[in-house]
Amino acid sequence: MTSTIPPGADAPPVEAAGRYFNGASARPHQVCLRLDGRFRVTGPGVARDWNPLDLRAADSMPPLMRVGPAHEPERVEFSDDALAAALAARCPDLHRRDEAGGVLRLVLWSVAAGLSVLLVAILGVPHLARLLVPLVPETVEARLGATVEPQVLRLLGSPPACTEASGRAALARLVARLAAAGQADGASPSDLAVSVRRQGTANAFALPGARVILLSGLIERAKAPDEVAAVLAHELGHVSARDPTRSLIRASGTSFLLSLILGDLTGSTMIVAIGQALLSAGYSREAERAADAHAVGLMARAGGNGAALADVLERISSDDDRRGTLDLLRTHPLTAERAAAIRALAGPEAPGRQILSAEDWAALKGICGPSP
Amino acid sequence: MDVETGRRAPHDAAVTFDPRLNGLTWLALKGALLSLVTFGIYRFWYVTDIRRFFWSRTAVDGSPAEYTGTGKELFLGFLVALAILVPVYLGLFALSFAAPALAPFSVVISFVTLFLLGQYAIYRGRRYRAMRTLWRGIRLGQDGSGLAYAARAGAWWLLVFLTFGVAFPFMRASLERYRINHTLVGTSRMTSTARGRSVLGPWLLFYVVALGPLIWLGLALLAAADFSLPTDLLVPRPGGKPGETILNPAYAGSNIGLIANTLLFATAVCIPAALLLIPFYRARETRAFMRAARLGGVRLASSLRARDFYWPYIVYGLSLLGIFLALGFVTGVMVFAAQNAGVSVIHWIVILAYLVGLPLFAVLYVRLVQARLWAAVATSTVVVNPEELAAVLASSRGAGSGLQEGLADALDVGGALQIGL
Ligand SMILES: [Zn+2]
Repeated sequence: MTSTIPPGADAPPVEAAGRYFNGASARPHQVCLRLDGRFRVTGPGVARDWNPLDLRAADSMPPLMRVGPAHEPERVEFSDDALAAALAARCPDLHRRDEAGGVLRLVLWSVAAGLSVLLVAILGVPHLARLLVPLVPETVEARLGATVEPQVLRLLGSPPACTEASGRAALARLVARLAAAGQADGASPSDLAVSVRRQGTANAFALPGARVILLSGLIERAKAPDEVAAVLAHELGHVSARDPTRSLIRASGTSFLLSLILGDLTGSTMIVAIGQALLSAGYSREAERAADAHAVGLMARAGGNGAALADVLERISSDDDRRGTLDLLRTHPLTAERAAAIRALAGPEAPGRQILSAEDWAALKGICGPSP
Repeated sequence: MDVETGRRAPHDAAVTFDPRLNGLTWLALKGALLSLVTFGIYRFWYVTDIRRFFWSRTAVDGSPAEYTGTGKELFLGFLVALAILVPVYLGLFALSFAAPALAPFSVVISFVTLFLLGQYAIYRGRRYRAMRTLWRGIRLGQDGSGLAYAARAGAWWLLVFLTFGVAFPFMRASLERYRINHTLVGTSRMTSTARGRSVLGPWLLFYVVALGPLIWLGLALLAAADFSLPTDLLVPRPGGKPGETILNPAYAGSNIGLIANTLLFATAVCIPAALLLIPFYRARETRAFMRAARLGGVRLASSLRARDFYWPYIVYGLSLLGIFLALGFVTGVMVFAAQNAGVSVIHWIVILAYLVGLPLFAVLYVRLVQARLWAAVATSTVVVNPEELAAVLASSRGAGSGLQEGLADALDVGGALQIGL
């Protein structure tokens, strides 16, 4: 029982005319094709005799048919339905492709690969960012901040800087007091840069390289200087914990991996995603609690009211109608528990203190000049 | 004499494309849906299927072409390209930190690097497609260097930039000559005599349509103002952002105001109108470049008409319009029903529109645009002196590396089907 005899070998032979190409030249040879137990190609100067089991058909549109032995450049072209049908019946491997099949396997593998990249992006990258941040030198972080700040400002709608001289002097005195208080526990960065921008939302941002942006909406809605100072101290808490740099590394890593699986490698989504992540993705709950504690401690040492942080957060959260997408509460969700923790840390006598004199507070209120 | 086939001239052979597109819809649908679930990885297999489909339906002198590439090769090429590209991206990213003096130019440096890399990738991708194409069992090929091609493209684009675009057709012709002169069919080398001059006319039409009325109206404005434009013609918009200007209302009734308004209106009309000329230019260029190609004594004659390039886009645009109207209608009905029922369905509508729309657009695009453009180019082409094709001999070169097209995919340049040679 040998298996090399193709099925239907005892069927009547089929003949047709065709063109033979030897694979070495493009010259067509008119030939006669005959399929019996073998596939015979005969013509002037051509005599081929192929086993039908070795034949493979290349893609072609019926009635044209194109066959040749597997892995050989020789081809026969013909347009004859009877011969095509006979070949299809007697050559089981006629349409076999070395590569075909395995679509299900491909789908399963790529879904698995995609999920693993997704898991790395969600779980692995934040951990990696935490490990990497201490390795970033201060000079690199300063340059990072310089690169990122214009992008963040563009996403905020390019708000103009507030430069009223007396207001800036009051802000400088406030920053100096907080920095001096921070120096006591040696955690304050050397080149702190705090700027105020005219923007209606009540928020503040810490960027890499000890850059802090206060939006004028926050100063407008504060009822006491300590409220502004406490938010500033909270951002300084993020700065000294290097949260902005960690967030930047995490956002770049995640968006790089996501653009990898989404097939977009031109980097366009990446740049947008990084800025957006810095603005809207808040820090972890632990980072916020640490920044709160840092703020209260700083305010106490500077002779201010740490509990004002809870006051201003509560006031903003009650103004529901003015809440925008970049509101402080979006990035710093306020819970009753968080406010209570801030007040407990500040102690009962804190509300009696005030960090700036009345004149300085009035000057700070006017840092953006008369409102338009 | 070849009387019974009814060809135009006894010694010409037609290039044919089978217009029956059965199976293409299913191919595109399957490709789009599987690409969706596989995070796009299936696209390499989809591209391979599409190419096999188009190659096998395109016949020169009665013998169809054969595509022997595989999806696996494309995918591996993509992975190799990633290994090259990721360090390049990281390097570009690090450059702005390592050298702060370069930071203001980092966008330009990134653009130039990626552009040159893209041109290199296009040339390598073309080599892969050539080496995976068989005709009568004879392998096509491409020599020349991707780096040389990228350098030429870079220098030409600089010239185009410096000449306000006038050099564009000359660049196209020069790059076409480089590509064709390095294309081989077996051992026979193709040659091209493409000249920029031959498509300069259609190219200058862009300037006539886009800039002609503007220049004319500008001159009229100058004449009406006695060649001294009033300095207060444009005033800042009241309450607008800085830099935003409007026409000074004081000139509303005068000749100057009328012409200035027409000028603003013409700017809004002429520049989009010029974009409508793109298919016209593409058709003229394809025809001219086809006619300029030679393979020994064999040459191509093309009777491609511009309307063959417009028609697919018009049909595609109209069907898109129909789909959007239908989707809008369905959305409206669903939102109305949901409002009455008091549930929010907007998320589901977006997801549904995406799942229905993406495969639908993929099918429509490949059937209505790609297939028709391909057919228009193929069927309008005739091979002159086809008997000399018999002189083409197979080359002993191997099939070449299968990794060459990955970079083009990773950089998103080039596509499954490139119209023209
Ligand atoms: Zn915070």
